[in-house]
Amino acid sequence: MQPADVVQALSEWPHRHVQSRQLASLLHPTVPSPPTLVVHGISATCKSTILNGVLSTLRLPHAVVRSTECITGRHLLTKVLWNTLDALGQKDEWEKFGKGRCEHISSLAVLLEECLAARPIEKRGKFVLVLDEIDRQREAAPTLLSALARLGEIIPTLCVVLVLSSTPRPLFLQSASVPHVSFPPYTRKEAIDILLASPPPALGGLDMEETLEIYPHFVSTVYDTLVGPTAGSVPVFKSICERLWPKFVAPIIQGETPPGWQRATGESALVHRIVPEESSSADQKVRKPLAPSAAPSALPSLPYFSTLILTSAYLASHTPQRLDTIFFSKFSSSSLSARNKRAHHRRRLKVLSQAQAEEAANGGGSTPKKGKRVKTRITKSTLSSAFATSSATTSAIGGGAGITGPSTILTARPFPLERLLAIYHAVDPNPPANPIRTTAVADQIYAELATLRRLRLVVPASSSHAGFASTSSGNTSADAGEKWCVNISGDWIGELAKGIGVEVGEWLAGGLD
Amino acid sequence: MDAEAFEDALDLSRDKSQNQGVYIYQPPKPGKASGERPSKRRKVSSTANPEHDTKVPSFMPLLNGAESADCVQQRYDTYKQLWAEQEHKIQEILEDVDSGVLSDVLSFVRETSPQTCNGCIPTALITVGSNVSSLSRLLSRLNDQLMSTNEGGVIVLESGDAPNLKTSLKNIIRAAVTNTEGNDGFQRFLTDRSGPRMLGYDLDLLYDYVQRRGTKKLVLALRDSEAFDPALLTDLLSLFKSWLDRIPFTVMLGISTSVELFEGRLPRSCVSLLQGKHFEVQEAGNSVDRIFEALQTDPAGKLWVGRNVTSTLFEKARDSFQTPEAFSRMVKYSYMSHFFANPLSTLLGSAHSSILSQNPFSEVIRNLPSFRMLCEDLVESGSTEEVRKMLDEDEYLLQTAIANLEAGQDAMRHLFRAVLLIHKCLRHTQTSKKMSVSDLSVRALSGDLGESPIVEDMLASVKAMDSEQLLEVLEVLQNTLSDDSPLAEIQNDLKSLMEEHPDSRPFHSEYNINNSVVTTTVVHQRVKLTKGKANLRAQDVEYNKIIDRLAGAFIEYFSETLIRPTDLFMNEAFLFDLRNPLKEVFTPRPRFAIERALATPFDYLISSSPDAETRISSRQPPASILYQLYLESGALVNVHDLWQAFYAVFESDQSDKCDDREIMALFYGALSDMKTFGMIKNSRKKTDHLAKSTWIGL
Repeated sequence: MQPADVVQALSEWPHRHVQSRQLASLLHPTVPSPPTLVVHGISATCKSTILNGVLSTLRLPHAVVRSTECITGRHLLTKVLWNTLDALGQKDEWEKFGKGRCEHISSLAVLLEECLAARPIEKRGKFVLVLDEIDRQREAAPTLLSALARLGEIIPTLCVVLVLSSTPRPLFLQSASVPHVSFPPYTRKEAIDILLASPPPALGGLDMEETLEIYPHFVSTVYDTLVGPTAGSVPVFKSICERLWPKFVAPIIQGETPPGWQRATGESALVHRIVPEESSSADQKVRKPLAPSAAPSALPSLPYFSTLILTSAYLASHTPQRLDTIFFSKFSSSSLSARNKRAHHRRRLKVLSQAQAEEAANGGGSTPKKGKRVKTRITKSTLSSAFATSSATTSAIGGGAGITGPSTILTARPFPLERLLAIYHAVDPNPPANPIRTTAVADQIYAELATLRRLRLVVPASSSHAGFASTSSGNTSADAGEKWCVNISGDWIGELAKGIGVEVGEWLAGGLD
Repeated sequence: MDAEAFEDALDLSRDKSQNQGVYIYQPPKPGKASGERPSKRRKVSSTANPEHDTKVPSFMPLLNGAESADCVQQRYDTYKQLWAEQEHKIQEILEDVDSGVLSDVLSFVRETSPQTCNGCIPTALITVGSNVSSLSRLLSRLNDQLMSTNEGGVIVLESGDAPNLKTSLKNIIRAAVTNTEGNDGFQRFLTDRSGPRMLGYDLDLLYDYVQRRGTKKLVLALRDSEAFDPALLTDLLSLFKSWLDRIPFTVMLGISTSVELFEGRLPRSCVSLLQGKHFEVQEAGNSVDRIFEALQTDPAGKLWVGRNVTSTLFEKARDSFQTPEAFSRMVKYSYMSHFFANPLSTLLGSAHSSILSQNPFSEVIRNLPSFRMLCEDLVESGSTEEVRKMLDEDEYLLQTAIANLEAGQDAMRHLFRAVLLIHKCLRHTQTSKKMSVSDLSVRALSGDLGESPIVEDMLASVKAMDSEQLLEVLEVLQNTLSDDSPLAEIQNDLKSLMEEHPDSRPFHSEYNINNSVVTTTVVHQRVKLTKGKANLRAQDVEYNKIIDRLAGAFIEYFSETLIRPTDLFMNEAFLFDLRNPLKEVFTPRPRFAIERALATPFDYLISSSPDAETRISSRQPPASILYQLYLESGALVNVHDLWQAFYAVFESDQSDKCDDREIMALFYGALSDMKTFGMIKNSRKKTDHLAKSTWIGL
């Protein structure tokens, strides 16, 4: 079978005939193949499908190993051996070949050679080993790739195909002249062609003729606006089209005048949610498209005591320790001068945080100003740690909108546990009638804090980047230096705290002015 | 005082071994034969001693040991029997609470497949709120259902089981196989395979298993999804996605906060692997209320928890993360304490005269506060003979007491029936504030429900109802009350009235504001507003008579039933109302205890000198002395100052004879103790200072 025939056989995958031709010529059974072949391209560019198609059309004996399914390097090697044995039909003779065990790449070379040599004479042709997504291998040794590339050189009948989903650096296999087959992303025309090849999603109330007229325009518009600029892949393109199409034609079905693009509805439809919105409710939403889809989201229901602790933790995280006596001390809470002082600091922190937010938005990691006017120390380390922790929490609110809200005044900073306890006593909305006689609550707080930590609402500051294993296994040492950090956005806390009668803005530096 | 005596006085020799830097190693005594296994791995024979089983470790005899063994046994048996009944009820409630969600989840698991989810992993998000335990109940029942139809099973993974990818995969495979095959089956499964031995974390094993069993649904439940490391979760899920064409996974995520929050924490790439549905499990508070209702308002109840205990229970349930199981454990503890420490609890069981005669019950009863109250009342009302008789004749006293006990129990049953009635009425009248049974019970148990505004409001709104509404209410109430109450009669009258005038319904009540008319008359150039009754029809007048009768019946009924339980004679036997053991046991306070032990050591230790008052003295343990000095200091302490103060304590006690090297050693020991407690750390601001890191009394 000639390479041209292979291309013919694979015509159901459009716009990939160059690559299938290249692969077919390189792997053709009658031609000596290169010992190693690299196939690369970003995800969803048909690499594995074309490769498998070529191999099966050429009827080449081959074994495919998906690297993502291998947990360790050893697992990968073992799998390579088994899949090879399986492909060669020697699975029952596994005991001959290292008892099915393979712990090192050098032994893999020996074993592979043995089992390829054990084939009957008439079947001693070329054997292809495909390692899919080998660049995503977990716990891979640094030399793994170049060692695998050598396998083909050691074993003459073996051809190793490495499928990469990232673009390889030059000479990354430490050997010259390895042929590379590139699978470029589909161009605009190709992507639209692929999508139009399948029939448009059928909808009741719209006849096929009309659909066929509108759909191609719709698809190309979607590509130009949403897929092309973001380098989206074909499956993403397809799912966007499927999601938007019913909304797009809904006015036609319902006999309304087309309102044009509704940004709000369109964007919310693009985000993949675990729980998809019901299609029926989506239809209703079309009728009032600007209804806030980001309605007050369901709050986590925490018990009273935990909520109060979480609120205190939030305040401890977001108030500079220097100002604790001004904000939380009960001695001066009612006097006029204390109130003035508090208001002064709030304003000042607000200005500061706005400046900081702007700077963060503009300059990213540039060194912040250390002017003498700014008394709250914002060192580079606090900023960088803030960036590290804020990715999950504060950035969820959105940078631009967050500047004005009281919730993003300063990024969360770690605090010692004793401070949390003290602030808890300060903000408690139902303080005990006789504070001297009542029993200490610290122990109860610890118990609740453990639960909050399990929920990752409050985390030990030191372990925010460390692995989970190091923190989970009973690391309950009462280390005096251990600090904690709140791990939840301020909007949530504000709502939660209102539920138990605490106004966060009342305490928060920069809030409520 | 020489060094040795000094040590003896401070009892230092005992704790020396712990903080000695250098010591002579003494190997443990070779008592065991060398072939014997270490104690943790020793083989435990499963043949339990049958004699041992029959002799249950029961309660201790009370009344200074004067209680007979029969009596102790009966207390124990009564407790066992009573709690078994209650536990049965609790289990029923818990199962009933979950059943709705269970069927939803089950149908979700059965109906969804990767194809229906656009190729994503089918995912059920279950928000449990603070009701953390409900998920495991749900999962075990789901597992039973799936197992019984041979469809598959549920693998439960907790964050503790998943420190890294390898271990979590191992655990998943193991759990899946042992779920159906058992532990030995798992070993056989590993060894009896034809091919080479696989690595424990190879999902091929699971694939093999799925093929052998013909599993159609393999549910992987992450019980506390938030506690998982997000990176690990992403790894796991992408791995499942890759295997989805071979192993029919369904993922179930238990979420305690909210779906949005959980989703926001996961990377987008991970979210795009999942698709499914959201289920909500009922809040814990709801089932706690139901459990409480079932326990307290049982028409055959024998023992009740009192006001203090109830409020403690609910305070704990509402304020902190607590499962319904934990709630019922607390109730169980209070039942246990009652039977453990109260000799009168014997009377709750079947009272044999032999038990009664053997034990000094009469003496016990005479010491009860409620007996004293009864006597005072009797004396006031002039029946001194009765009191005399009870004080003199044991037999008579016992009879009276038992009769009173039963009457009291009846009164309690009526009390809770009234509470239920009020609750139902309130639910019907729809006042703005929802009162739960527990709120009402607390008031009823303290005896002030009858006069509370709740009942007054309720009566007012019942009075204002028209006939249709009233009939509904009456029908609802009919179920709670016994038949011979005047309510049935009223209901019949109302019905017959309505049948007589079928066309003029509904009748209106004169108490309803809408039915009164405001008239304006000008008298002496002043406007006079008079509220007059609207012209009532004859049948309305009839109806109003019925309403008045009903209100009267209600008031009478409430004044009869809503009594103060602590006023009942013998209430000590059937009402458990001690706040203290419950609170102490369920909210331990280790920090408070440590602080107290350090600040006032002679609260715990026996003082060797008589004048061991609050002052710091050298007789206290050195750590305690140092702690008290530490309490006096500010946030930063100069170590030398601290040492000077420490030395001064010893100097003042022993004047010239003290050895400062000895004291220095004690000081170092104490300092290291403090450091172990996490109370001090080195300060970065000043080199020779210590930073204080804990404060007392927080």
